[in-house]
Amino acid sequence: MEKQEIEPSSHLSVIIDLSPTQWHLASLQNNNELQPQSSQQVLTFRSFITQTLAFLNSHLALKHENTLAVYGALPGKSVLLYSPTVPKSETEDISADANSYLPFKVLDNAVTTRIGEELDALRDEDEEAPCDLVGALTKSLCYINKLLTSTPATLDATTPPPEPRIVIMSVSPDQSASYIPLMNSIFSAQKLKVTIDVCKVFGPDAVFLQQAAYLTGGAYIYLERRDALLQHLMMTFLPPPSIRRLLVVPTQDKVDFRAACFCHKTIVDIGFVCSVCLSSTSPSKSVQFVSQKLMAYLLQFVQFSVNLSQSVQPVGTSIFLW
Amino acid sequence: MPPRKNDDYMEVASDDSLPSDVDEVYNGKSKGKGKGKATERKTREKGKSKNNEQPYAWEASYVRSWDTVQEDEAGSLQGAVEDLIARNRRRRLLAPSTAIRRTIIRHLVLVLDLSSSMMDRDMRPTRFDLMLEYARSFISEWFDQNPLGQIGIVGMRSGIAERIGEMSGNPQDVLKTISERHKLEPAGDPSLQNAVEMARGSMSHLPTHSSREIIIIFGSLTTVDPGNIHDTLDACVKDRIRIAVVALAAEMKICRDLCDKTGGSFGVALNDGHFKDLLFELIPPPAQRAVSRAAGAGAGTSNPTADLMMMGFPTRLPNTSAPALCVCHSDLKSEGFLCPRCSAKLCDVPTDCDICGLMIVSSPHLARSYHHLFPVKPYSAVVDGAKVSPSNACTGCSSSFSKSSASSTITDGVSPFGRYKCPDCKNDFCTDCDVFVHDVVHCCPGCGK
Repeated sequence: MEKQEIEPSSHLSVIIDLSPTQWHLASLQNNNELQPQSSQQVLTFRSFITQTLAFLNSHLALKHENTLAVYGALPGKSVLLYSPTVPKSETEDISADANSYLPFKVLDNAVTTRIGEELDALRDEDEEAPCDLVGALTKSLCYINKLLTSTPATLDATTPPPEPRIVIMSVSPDQSASYIPLMNSIFSAQKLKVTIDVCKVFGPDAVFLQQAAYLTGGAYIYLERRDALLQHLMMTFLPPPSIRRLLVVPTQDKVDFRAACFCHKTIVDIGFVCSVCLSSTSPSKSVQFVSQKLMAYLLQFVQFSVNLSQSVQPVGTSIFLW
Repeated sequence: MPPRKNDDYMEVASDDSLPSDVDEVYNGKSKGKGKGKATERKTREKGKSKNNEQPYAWEASYVRSWDTVQEDEAGSLQGAVEDLIARNRRRRLLAPSTAIRRTIIRHLVLVLDLSSSMMDRDMRPTRFDLMLEYARSFISEWFDQNPLGQIGIVGMRSGIAERIGEMSGNPQDVLKTISERHKLEPAGDPSLQNAVEMARGSMSHLPTHSSREIIIIFGSLTTVDPGNIHDTLDACVKDRIRIAVVALAAEMKICRDLCDKTGGSFGVALNDGHFKDLLFELIPPPAQRAVSRAAGAGAGTSNPTADLMMMGFPTRLPNTSAPALCVCHSDLKSEGFLCPRCSAKLCDVPTDCDICGLMIVSSPHLARSYHHLFPVKPYSAVVDGAKVSPSNACTGCSSSFSKSSASSTITDGVSPFGRYKCPDCKNDFCTDCDVFVHDVVHCCPGCGK
């Protein structure tokens, strides 16, 4: 008998950005000033969820062994919306329906009800908080890690481990405060060989997520025609990374890897980097002054921490620490 | 040639008989076989039994490592595995929780022993092959965690030191220098002094903010030195070079001295796994030594080691740009990076520009070092059953916790419920996620810090 190579199954983690503010802006008719080229189409959250669920269903339909986990990034927290391992709540009663495939129905029900619950639970003052994208990303990495390390004993050795990947559906702009944790998650994704794909549905380009996609070998797509969301998802994000090598998937040419100086917040080509804390400054007259200030900071090195970086606005790939 | 053939047979036979010989010796010990040996031993034991200690390792009882792993009543090894995890946890808890200054810009010379003693087969296949294998994985992992560091490689062979690889910040370049096994074939005796002097010479020009480190993988029990090695040691202490030695054979006084006086670590590898552990413990950046700070305070300045380094952030050329020759390999390529100062085209970052010598990095490389500066706080083990939080799933991977306590014996630092709590966000995590978060992600899923 000819030995046949078994194609690995693939695991997909989808992170959905559920920022109420941003989704409200996306559904408005008159935001021409913000995004002139993409304002012709309006994408409501309802149609977004319908199209995303169709994409998730097709991932499950592609191969019987394929697995799926759906995370939601809400303002200030992150939740698991659906995963096959989590026991469903008892109240949920899913009766078999002749017109729908049961796994699809379970998934659709779980995702829609969980989103509804979480959004209802949000208080008004919470809505302005930035979305906890990093939490959702690290949780999905933990999930994938568990999936890869604890291979069930029932599987024989010939079955390859599942190919993991993460798709982020983003609507919020970058948050400079989460730069370091986000980078840490990206590097651990690199270590686990997890591809991160980014679909920017609404809002300005997210430089951090561009870097995430570039560093892990994924695709970053800015959705220019928002009514074509499902088509983009199907054509770009459905094939697993091993097959994607044979396809022409949109790549990004202009990922900016330059750093911004912390004194003038301008992007620099050549800068001076502190040997202790790795913050960069521009080569100008103020270096003398800055370095003195830096010395003063270094004495209290222990105290300076991320809370100082929260006051900084994002400029390019800023790497400020204060 | 029959005699030659015989020789071969002899060799094979002796190889095979070696373990059984050892067994016989041990049997002889326990059962009292072999009169001559037994009487001899008895007389020796008489003298020994008074102070009740065994002077030599080979006289100790034969320790079988598989006996130390205990099965529980159900016959599973779960308990033993948990114990191993607990040991790892405890080691992490020992680490200081506050931010300490670590040397981010590191310079390392890896000294490889290429003497004939490296052909010993006590580690499979040989010490030499194992060393090369681990050296390769060490270098890739080292550059992964220290993207701004540089590694040079020096070999000790036939009584002299050989420069195998120049100091370089590009992992591919360093790996290439030790990729060809036949060029590194072991021969002769090693010379510690020559190797350390060569390593010291190659690091003499470095600025004060960078660390200077030497890691010696030493398989021999002798060293052939042209002069007084203690002078070299004093010079290293003066130059603030940190020397770490991983010995494959046994502890030597001079190796221990080299490490103790320069602030490095010394270890003798017990087996393959321990060798790797010893080597990989040297990967995280060391805390900056108090010596430099004290010296700075004495001089009246705030801190002499906080320097500003000039670095260039390159422009990345996309796949679709017009192909051009790169300065590093003279290959025609369309991808690449442009040096911001001299506009030379480079293949890979981080590196030093070949034309103008500017240090070229990209901002993710800087970001990669941050987790050393801001480590995740260690999680505390949930021990008290009454204080178990109502959530019944791990915050990280959402796998559910077991309701009852898994093990009755409470080991230090291990939760009987398999729950570990983040001190900041008060969320519970399972054992796997605890290890994963602290060792790989460096970011707590609950609080995002």
